[in-house]
Amino acid sequence: MARAQAVGAGLTDADFTRFAEYFYKRTGIHFASSKRYFVDKRIEACIRQSPYDNFAGWFAALRVNERSGAMHQELINQLTVNETYFLREDYQFDAMLSTVLPNVLRDRGGVARIDGPVKILSLPCSTGEEPYSIALRVLEEWDRIDDVDVEIHGADIDSDVLAKATHASYGDRSLQRVPKPWLHKYFAPIGAGRYQVDEAIRSAVTLHRVNVCDTPAMRVFRDFDVVFCRNVLIYFDELSSRRAAENLYGAMRPGGYLFLGHSESMSRISPIFTPTRLPEGIVYQRPTGAK
Amino acid sequence: MGLVRKKITGQPEQITWERLSADALRALLGDPDPDVRREAALGLEGVEEAVPDLLTRVILETEPNIRDSVLTTVSAYDTEAVAGALAVHLASDDAALRTAAAEALARMPRSMPALLPSLVAAPDHDVRVMTVMVLADLIHPDTGYWLTRVIRDDPHPNVVTAAIDALLPLATAEHAPLLEAAARRFPDDPFLRFTVQAALPGLTGTA
Repeated sequence: MARAQAVGAGLTDADFTRFAEYFYKRTGIHFASSKRYFVDKRIEACIRQSPYDNFAGWFAALRVNERSGAMHQELINQLTVNETYFLREDYQFDAMLSTVLPNVLRDRGGVARIDGPVKILSLPCSTGEEPYSIALRVLEEWDRIDDVDVEIHGADIDSDVLAKATHASYGDRSLQRVPKPWLHKYFAPIGAGRYQVDEAIRSAVTLHRVNVCDTPAMRVFRDFDVVFCRNVLIYFDELSSRRAAENLYGAMRPGGYLFLGHSESMSRISPIFTPTRLPEGIVYQRPTGAK
Repeated sequence: MGLVRKKITGQPEQITWERLSADALRALLGDPDPDVRREAALGLEGVEEAVPDLLTRVILETEPNIRDSVLTTVSAYDTEAVAGALAVHLASDDAALRTAAAEALARMPRSMPALLPSLVAAPDHDVRVMTVMVLADLIHPDTGYWLTRVIRDDPHPNVVTAAIDALLPLATAEHAPLLEAAARRFPDDPFLRFTVQAALPGLTGTA
């Protein structure tokens, strides 16, 4: 405790500014001074897990050892927010099933002529609740799932949450909105009130570690029909959110659909997507006329 | 049919982007394929020697989406030289270009303030309206000062009206006399008068 207090007292305003600039340059995530308390606490946690007992030593080591990655990744893991649960904001999944997927099939020539699987990306996928929710909704409620292949990918910048997504075991809080029949059908109890997603679904969802602002890294994603990128762009400053938008655009098929969080608006970020009003809300499309 | 897994290990693209040099990317800015031009522009992030090529591409590019990609990369260079080169387009006859340039300049809070004295004094009132558009979105502590100055001093009602619109999210009761004075300066402009009349109750708490 004494050490934690010493650590907290060691982070000056100038330290915070230097750190915020450093973190922004490497991740695109911008922390304003209003986030000072949150950042201080997370940095304290990182310092406690390091061999250093003050900010100056830890920060110097972070920069020197940047390429080895471990400290940097730990920092990202601490500073990214990963609160989520199954079927969160599921009106957007309703929109996906009722309007978006039928439109995707239509635009790709119909069931009989579709070339390749329908591709869905969840980014950031955090601990996996979102991509597995998509899988559950598609399996249970899309009437074309027996006729069409669906490929689901999840991606996140945080390696810790990806490890949890891979293991896919969840407690009450995450599962509160999962209908009981689905829980019995697609999850296995593993003790201590926790359930693990069925192996067949886990193995069907492909997970990746990527920073959405990193253009070269994002180039592995191409031709996605549907992208969920919810509640992350609000953490970026204008420049980074714009680059993230460009990278999402590059990941999508012309005509593909992008879902943002309910409080987010692409029109404040970039004009490259076309907003489309669905009964369940706004979705953004990569224009079909433009490459 | 059903859920299927595919592990992405590479990409089936014809161009292996990560192997391209900066010179190759610069050359691809003029490629006939818009998607290649877009990827080249984004791939030049952090390549400072490519800034002149990107600024040239802003002028030559015919696809608005590709131009936006170029501006995304180039506006990361928040320098007076880059801002100055973009500010020229505020006077463009191409509405999409001048709007895109204004949006890019609004992302350049370090360099924009140095340009403001000349931009708010530009002889072309359309340039001054575009400058107000930049100020509306620019995240900088002095935007309120600049908008106030435009409202107080600019001789064109369209510029003043645009500045009032831009100031409203920041405005308080203290700005009410400024808006009333602006309305008095242009008694024959119904739109400006309407803008002020619509704004005042919200500022003075009489709404």
